Amino acid sequence: MKKKWITIGVIVLAVVLIYGSFKGSYNTMVTYDENVGEKWSQVENVYQRRADLIPNLVNTVKGYAEHEKQTLTDVIEARAKATSVNITPGNLNAASMQQFQQAQAGLQSALSKLMVVVERYPDLKANQNFLELQAQLEGTENRIAVERKKFNEATKTYNVYIKKFPKNIYANMFGFESKPYFEAVKGAEIVPTVEF
Amino acid sequence: MKKINFKILLITLSFLLIVPQLFSQEIPERPTPPRLVNDFTGVLSREQANQLEKKLVQFNNQTSNQITVVLVNSLNGIALSDFAYTIGEKWKVGQKEFDNGIVILVKPKIGREKGQAFIATGYGLEGAIPDGTTKLIVENEMIPYFKNGDYYGGINRAISVIIPLAAGEFSSDEYAKTTTQGSPIGRIVPFLVLIIIFVLMRGSRARSHSVGAGIPFWTALLLGSMMGGSSHGSWNNFSSGSGGFGGFGGGSFGGGGAGGSW
Repeated sequence: MKKKWITIGVIVLAVVLIYGSFKGSYNTMVTYDENVGEKWSQVENVYQRRADLIPNLVNTVKGYAEHEKQTLTDVIEARAKATSVNITPGNLNAASMQQFQQAQAGLQSALSKLMVVVERYPDLKANQNFLELQAQLEGTENRIAVERKKFNEATKTYNVYIKKFPKNIYANMFGFESKPYFEAVKGAEIVPTVEF
Repeated sequence: MKKINFKILLITLSFLLIVPQLFSQEIPERPTPPRLVNDFTGVLSREQANQLEKKLVQFNNQTSNQITVVLVNSLNGIALSDFAYTIGEKWKVGQKEFDNGIVILVKPKIGREKGQAFIATGYGLEGAIPDGTTKLIVENEMIPYFKNGDYYGGINRAISVIIPLAAGEFSSDEYAKTTTQGSPIGRIVPFLVLIIIFVLMRGSRARSHSVGAGIPFWTALLLGSMMGGSSHGSWNNFSSGSGGFGGFGGGSFGGGGAGGSW
């Protein structure tokens, strides 16, 4: 008789413990997941900020550098391509991330090409409006670097959490998948050379 | 497939782990006791540093906006903007609720090495002081003085412009006009704005027709200092009058701001 009660007690205790462990882990996963989503929207914000600067920049450059039609068209096309790729935090996975990064890297390289080309136009470089746009563009690139870093940190916290035992089992059960990082795209950091 | 992913992940992770450590080793530690003016170079005299500190502490106590000035001899190979931004993040300049911190970073010209200056704005002040404006402040207020070796003068000028901008007393557009035209009208604008604010304030006071229309502000401050406790360091020393700087808040930075070199 006594044995039976002990068994029941042990089972109840086990259930309570397992429930507690499930609940704690699940809630933490949700919190971290949300945090990654929040950081991601910041990342998209700063990329959008860069995209928003471009029409103004292109118009300013156009007035001074008519011969650079091709470069300007490239920038506009790259911008259109970049803004067409959007990821909601829900479908943040390796494939969509790669697509996003590729589109943004295309814009990045078109833009840096433009910034090299404008070196040829002293009048443009003295233009107050252009100088301000340049400062804003630089600031936006800084912001992109910062928000990417913050996103990667949040993702790391989340990924490490869901991969540790026994949370990896719960994560599997509840469908929490690991999230992709931002990686430096090959060649994105290299400023293209332009023949004069 | 799984193996490769794991490898990439491992590399990324170790990179992520190493990078912040590298940064934190080369960026100066948060000062204790907290100070707003941190001269690690000695180009400012003690008096000059105290003068700036007093000005900034007063501004901090009045508006909770935190402006910190940092002078370093070397950027330790870190990009200028990164250095300034990391100080802001690491020291947590600005209040947690408002992210209203500013870092003014100056690396004086030493020998043939060029001098560099950067103004980094916290998330909350990016609107009041856009990057273009910080660029103008660095180029027009700071660098002309710095070129003559007058670091106090340049920093003081920059602070004098940033304070009313951060407090919302005049807009960045108005500031841009004053510097590009340099006309006397432009210089009058801030005064006009102040007069208008003054008139408006008087108007609203007359309307409120209570005995002590000016009191709520002070009451609020006192209440703030009583309730805030240790979490609102900035209010702590207010009642003691001249008091020192209570400490950095929990402000966050997103990479805003601009700089220049000479």
